[in-house]
Amino acid sequence: MNATSVRKDLLEAVVQALPPGELSAIRSAALSRFSSSGFPTTRDEDWRYTNLARAVDVTNEWLAGFAQQSSKDENASDNTDEQFAITSQVDANWLVIRNGVVEGESFARVGNAYERGIEISRLVDGLQSASIAMTDGLSAFNATLLQDGLHIRISKNISADKPLGILFVSDMNSGLSQERVIIDAGENSRFSVISCCISSGAGKEFSNSVMQISLAAGARLDLVQIQQRDPTHLGISRISAQLQRDTIFNHSAFDFGSALARNDVVIDIVGPGASANVNGLYLATDEQHIDNHVHVIHGVGPATSSQDYRGILSGRSRCVFNGKAVVLAGADGTDANQSNHNLLLSEKAEIDTKPELEIYADDVKCAHGVTVGQLDEAALFYMRTRGLAEDDAKRLLTRAFASGMLSALTIDECHDYISDAIDQRLDELISEEIR
Amino acid sequence: MLKIKNLQASVGDIKILNGLDLEVNAGEVHAIMGPNGSGKSTLAQVIAGNDSYVVNGGSVEFMGKDLLELEPEERAREGIFLGFQYPVEIPGVNNAYLLKAAVNAKRKHQGLEEIDAFEFLKMAREKMAILDMDPSFLKRGVNEGFSGGEKKRNEILQMAMLEPRLAILDETDSGLDIDAMKAVSKGINALRDPQRAIVLVTHYQRLLDYVEPDFVHVLSAGKIVRSGDKSLALQLEEKGYEWIREAAPA
Repeated sequence: MNATSVRKDLLEAVVQALPPGELSAIRSAALSRFSSSGFPTTRDEDWRYTNLARAVDVTNEWLAGFAQQSSKDENASDNTDEQFAITSQVDANWLVIRNGVVEGESFARVGNAYERGIEISRLVDGLQSASIAMTDGLSAFNATLLQDGLHIRISKNISADKPLGILFVSDMNSGLSQERVIIDAGENSRFSVISCCISSGAGKEFSNSVMQISLAAGARLDLVQIQQRDPTHLGISRISAQLQRDTIFNHSAFDFGSALARNDVVIDIVGPGASANVNGLYLATDEQHIDNHVHVIHGVGPATSSQDYRGILSGRSRCVFNGKAVVLAGADGTDANQSNHNLLLSEKAEIDTKPELEIYADDVKCAHGVTVGQLDEAALFYMRTRGLAEDDAKRLLTRAFASGMLSALTIDECHDYISDAIDQRLDELISEEIR
Repeated sequence: MLKIKNLQASVGDIKILNGLDLEVNAGEVHAIMGPNGSGKSTLAQVIAGNDSYVVNGGSVEFMGKDLLELEPEERAREGIFLGFQYPVEIPGVNNAYLLKAAVNAKRKHQGLEEIDAFEFLKMAREKMAILDMDPSFLKRGVNEGFSGGEKKRNEILQMAMLEPRLAILDETDSGLDIDAMKAVSKGINALRDPQRAIVLVTHYQRLLDYVEPDFVHVLSAGKIVRSGDKSLALQLEEKGYEWIREAAPA
């Protein structure tokens, strides 16, 4: 094994073997797109700190054993009765995507839960109006093996009263899962999505998911992503959103798990009055690697964007933040902010942070700020003089640091779940340091 | 209650306390006065257990225990309270939460159950009324965005909730206007008790008009150079610290 890139012979064979139909034309087009680019490597500036060698290995292994793998998957997908903590704790209409395939039972249930004007379809049942974006090597790779996914359409003026929950489950123990979710929000519609990624596999799993979002004039979408995968998991997520006039896109990402997690959020502002708020909290320990890339393109003005990411790192973890705002010529009245604050609990943890502004317009307001620090010794001492044990004081201070992200949350339904998950994760981070 | 013998302490290479002796008994109120840089705050920080200060010699005994062996939180649970000259702002940590955690840490140490939420609020509201503090302060971050006077009131509130055996109040009067001074003094006086000792560390005599000390000590170059009753404070006010330096015995 240990090839440096995905083996084309294997990939072509697998693409040939997938069932024919509407998706096969997409797959062929994606294959040629992917063949010219492949997976990104650390030679690409945007991937300097994140090495996909292990993901390439898992992919090649999975491709080589595809025949056996697919039959196992069919058996696994029968298991639909399993209960997941989040689906009972967070009030939402929950859909399950297991190892890249939408679970039929949850799909039928959710399909009935929404009123007219909200249509959810499976990509396996046909593309209809959905277009499959393949803007880079990884999204092309996702399309190359496309088997299923979701297309969510919210009609004009429709507001859903309950969020849609999408639970991504990987439990193959070894293998590749690629999911794609397409959201098309109509004019003046309002919709909320909570996505949660979990994995139970103790082996080699790689997931490469794509979410394509398009907001028509006046639409608002709130998207919360909670990543709580097994510490062996390799996961890549790409969210791309196109924002028309007067739209609001609020996104909060919470990264707790995975051996490697890479999140790309690409926002294209194409209408004046649009507002994009992207927040993230990453809590990393051991050898975890969490990389957040946010890229906002201000094509027109006036419009606002803000990126606010916070991280707490312990152990030998390594995190990356790269926030970019590009203000194109003529996008006057742009207001773009970026901030990234980090708390290092260990001397061996590492953060590489880089906010970038590229401005080609004249009348803009842009700001960025970055901090990397340790716990405030004066605050720790102060709390200890009030009788608090040192560990408790540390926990309170780290919690306080993280809580800013919780208050930025725009979907109330998942507040308590995330708050508990943060507490649990911080205990793990702090005990790593006390050990 | 508190016996300090020949205490020497330094920060970095600078020796600040140079053989300080002090004995404080239950029921007493002591004032420690002295010019800037004489070691007043260092003494307070060393008693509270700040490890930025290194103790080079001497001993500190509290209720028969070797205080220098204890961690800051253990000292607090034994009944020592330090009111900070510069209370620390801790954004994101709720004031009520810290207060309750502090009360419960002490109760746990004493083998008591955690305080009931209703009892806690009732007690906090009572103490806040004495200090003329709005109950909304409980909901804010610890000292976050508080004015100088609000921070000092908050220190006294913590003291009132924790009911320490020994309270050391470091420059609690600095930066207070007359109303805040009165409120803070009222809070301190409410805690005067035959079982409790209070040490006021101050630069000015002003606070002592409101909280009358039993003893006044003058600190200079890391040592107590003179002790007396409250009239010593008045003499100092009149003649200035130069008077002590000149009159100090060699």
